[in-house]
Amino acid sequence: MPKFIVDGKEIEFKLGQTIIQAARDAGISIPHFCWHPSLSVSGNCRVCLVEVEKMPKLVIACSTYATEGMVVSTNSPKTLDARNSVMEFILINHPLDCPICDEAGECKLQEYAYAHGKGESRFDEIKNRKEKRVQLGPYIKFDGERCISCSRCIRFSDEIAKANQLTFVERGDKVTISTFPGESFDNPYTMNTVDICPVGALTNNDFRFKSRVWEMSSTNSVCVGCARGCNTEIWVRNNEILRLTPRQNDNVNSYWMCDNGRLNTFKFVNNNERIDGAFFRKEGALQKVEWAEAINESAKLLKEYKSSEIAFAGSAFAACEDNYLLAKLAKQLGVHNLDFASHIVTGDQDDILIREDKTPNSLGAKLVGVKSSNNGLNLDAILKSIQEGKIKALYILEDDLASLSEEWEQALGKLDLLIANAANQNRTTALADVLFGASTYAEKHGTFVNFEGRVQRIRPAVATEEMERALDGMNMSRWDKFGTKFDRWMQGTKHNSKPSWKILSQISNVLGGKTKYEMAEDVFAEIAGSVDAFKGLDYDSIGEQGAKLKIKQEVKV
Amino acid sequence: MERIVLPEIQSLDQIEVYLANGGFDAAKKAFAQTPDSLIDQVKKSGLRGRGGAAFSAGLKWSFMPKTTDLPKYLCINGDESEPGSFKDRQIFEYNPFQLIEGAIITCYAIGAKTAYLYIRGEYHMWIKLMQKAVDTAYEKGFLGGKMKEVFGTEFFCNLYIHKGAGAYICGEESSLMNSIEGYRGYPRIKPPFPAQKGLWGCPTTINNVETITNIPPIISKGWEWFSKIGAPKHPGTILYGLSGHVNKPGVYELPTGILLTDLIYNVAGGVPGNKKIKCVIPGGSSMPPLRGDQLEGVRMDADSLKEVGSAIGTAGVMVMDEDTNLLDVLIRIAKFYHHESCGQCTPCREGTGWMEKTLKRIKNGLGTSKDLDLLCDVANHIEGNTICALGDAAAWPVKFMITRFRDEFEKYVNSDVVISVPNKVHAMRNTAVPLSDLKK
Ligand SMILES: Cc1cc2nc3c(=O)[nH]c(=O)nc-3n(C[C@H](O)[C@H](O)[C@H](O)COP(=O)(O)O)c2cc1C
Ligand code: SF4
Ligand code: SF4
Ligand code: SF4
Repeated sequence: MPKFIVDGKEIEFKLGQTIIQAARDAGISIPHFCWHPSLSVSGNCRVCLVEVEKMPKLVIACSTYATEGMVVSTNSPKTLDARNSVMEFILINHPLDCPICDEAGECKLQEYAYAHGKGESRFDEIKNRKEKRVQLGPYIKFDGERCISCSRCIRFSDEIAKANQLTFVERGDKVTISTFPGESFDNPYTMNTVDICPVGALTNNDFRFKSRVWEMSSTNSVCVGCARGCNTEIWVRNNEILRLTPRQNDNVNSYWMCDNGRLNTFKFVNNNERIDGAFFRKEGALQKVEWAEAINESAKLLKEYKSSEIAFAGSAFAACEDNYLLAKLAKQLGVHNLDFASHIVTGDQDDILIREDKTPNSLGAKLVGVKSSNNGLNLDAILKSIQEGKIKALYILEDDLASLSEEWEQALGKLDLLIANAANQNRTTALADVLFGASTYAEKHGTFVNFEGRVQRIRPAVATEEMERALDGMNMSRWDKFGTKFDRWMQGTKHNSKPSWKILSQISNVLGGKTKYEMAEDVFAEIAGSVDAFKGLDYDSIGEQGAKLKIKQEVKV
Repeated sequence: MERIVLPEIQSLDQIEVYLANGGFDAAKKAFAQTPDSLIDQVKKSGLRGRGGAAFSAGLKWSFMPKTTDLPKYLCINGDESEPGSFKDRQIFEYNPFQLIEGAIITCYAIGAKTAYLYIRGEYHMWIKLMQKAVDTAYEKGFLGGKMKEVFGTEFFCNLYIHKGAGAYICGEESSLMNSIEGYRGYPRIKPPFPAQKGLWGCPTTINNVETITNIPPIISKGWEWFSKIGAPKHPGTILYGLSGHVNKPGVYELPTGILLTDLIYNVAGGVPGNKKIKCVIPGGSSMPPLRGDQLEGVRMDADSLKEVGSAIGTAGVMVMDEDTNLLDVLIRIAKFYHHESCGQCTPCREGTGWMEKTLKRIKNGLGTSKDLDLLCDVANHIEGNTICALGDAAAWPVKFMITRFRDEFEKYVNSDVVISVPNKVHAMRNTAVPLSDLKK
């Protein structure tokens, strides 16, 4: 491979790489605002100016190709002088409202100002004023004064979201961002611009002014909005999720996620319709009972039916671990009627990220065994059998079958016994005879398999009653670390829920099973030992970026 | 002295007159030769661009790729927006067919089938005149498909006039191409250069109107003839635009390399009231100004002007007499570049406004000598650090006006001593504070 020199260090580069790319691959980061690895080069911020031997002027590292033997200096006096002056230029008209800016703490401008700024301004004039609260689209608010005209948001809309909706208007230091006349910045991906805006010019209406970034912990996770399984970070303060942001994974979602996933996949974790604890129907009404009682009762009741009178419904919203233990319990009871509901929204799919399958784990549920066996019944047949009175007992894992159709709701009402694991109240839980509060994807360890057969991990970001943030190794914010139990922000709500795999394994044990899982990872170890596609994998090897499963036959979902 | 671009012939804008004076003979001669030979002749003639940078026209043409599947384009730059510059419009008005003839020869030489003539939007009248000439040329078969019959060649080309929308920046070549394509007039990062990736991503040559108008005579009379006119390294004639404090302002076609003093005193009739000259900007508002007491012996060609610390630019010579307030002049120039900065890149977008604001503060009597240093420093940090040369164009007048006329500028500011005191916020740093501020 050809080589060139950056700051005295010889580094290799691939032909066609620019200085900034090659340096980045070698672990040298050259300051930049407008350059983004997955957007076209615009070269407008001028922060990446570097000195190259034999070139008369400084060049921008983002658009200058590395060549054999080139000698680049990212910290020579000339480079530093130019960089400091660009910082000074950017800041002269900047409102410096960091104290009230959402971006503060994760702002490139703030970071570079600390690293490369002069610490004071020679600008004695009156700053330019621009509009500070422009609603560009349904979710995006724009602050013209904070904008540094890097054009990242415009390039994102054009190149990634394929929606030419943003543009610069005006000239010189009056330049600002706008939508085309009469148009709104409205496409399924708008909020990614908030993430890539290097400053606080674009804010997300949903999160705006909710929290300083250092008050939140962030935990790597996976979006549950569809079968893409975009990699995310869950941001939590006071045990409440305040926002989701995408996390880079070039094999899944690059740097992006869709607005629907970002907005609509976490609020149910926080809301006050959670199922808190275990419930048992007595005298016609669901009553809160001890977990042990509900578990014992479930086991006892299930034993009262013939295996052909029982059915199990797994869930593509639940983790592989949960589905696996559901399938295992079915087997233990000799039940062959086992399936899960698919949630396909036909046509709601694009070439970017969004998938028609609105669940995160269809493939995983299938792979770990949630499918009918030995002439057992599939979901449609289960429905029919319930209607005919042949199936009398149904166990539903984390899905709201009653909301699927009128027929389902009526059928569920006909059952002798309905056991449900659910996180939130819904039409199914209203009909349950035994009800377990299930932990959500944000409160447990586990795995999902996305539509391309990539297994990815979820982790607890929100603590439930059985967890302690520090003791259970959960990620912590500054507040979590330094707070005491007297601090308001340490008194967030903890829900009384358990991960489904735990509930299922306890029922199984009451029924004579001999399994002993300490944690989700133990369940996964068993899956890896018994399901071919997962062979050789463990939580560590799945890691932060997931692992592609070796799926031999086409598994139809 | 023979005039090349604007010959002394009445009604040359009438096609009959143009034809009667050998019009389109150069094109006929050109089409009988190979494109490479034409490029070679233009190279040898020594013709240098008249749009500002004085780059060899032949050399520029030779950068066009010979083997490419892409269409090639010619752009002719008639945006003429540099203050002090008003020469291209003389060509539109008095010699439009020579420009058209130059365009078809150039198209043939570089292998282009389409030429765009970009004219600044404010030139309503000249756009009309030029459009009339283009229509006539189409009618007579000097443009378009009929060229095949008229010239008896396989080659033909089209020429379209594109109207600017009022932005100085659209005279910058890559911005001009964006403008033609219908995008915002934002300059592009170079490389790639237009010959590699220009209009619609295709190889493109871009030349000034005056440059192109020089082509037909070079072809018909030969490159040797041309190369012997004026300054040897920058031969030919130039349309000098004289403005400001001269008795006879106007556009004069004269050989390169003539004495600046000749131009002012003999050609333009000297300074009204026989006043002394304080300052001359020799090449349009963006070029470094010269002091009035240093004009002796200065010649008007690219190399001579470079030697004395300025540049030929568009040869728009602006003369300012001894009573001129240079602060007012500089404020006006700074305001222009602030207003015309496209706003794409940081140093120019922010720096141009900063300079204008600071100059205006000085005008209001609130400046100190520290501000003069600051202005030069701001200019220095714009220069060379931007996407296009507008940054330099904005920086030079400020930097050179202040350094070359520091004595005058000191009169507009309060003299002050700057001392270094510990920074209030940043313990490790110092702040430069004018003594007068501390006394307040
Ligand atoms: C800000 C800016 C404005 C310019 N305006 C003009 C113009 O109005 N007309 C022009 O011919 N060249 C202009 N130029 C120069 C062009 O970019 C280009 O160099 C020129 O048209 C090339 O023609 P030439 O080689 O024949 O001189 C401008 C350059 C800059 C940086
Ligand atoms: S809004 Fe943000 S991303 Fe868009 S141009 Fe301004 S600073 Fe850049
Ligand atoms: S594309 Fe799917 S997985 Fe990605 S963010 Fe949207 S809903 Fe979530
Ligand atoms: S130098 Fe000025 S005019 Fe040129 S691209 Fe930058 S901001 Fe625009």
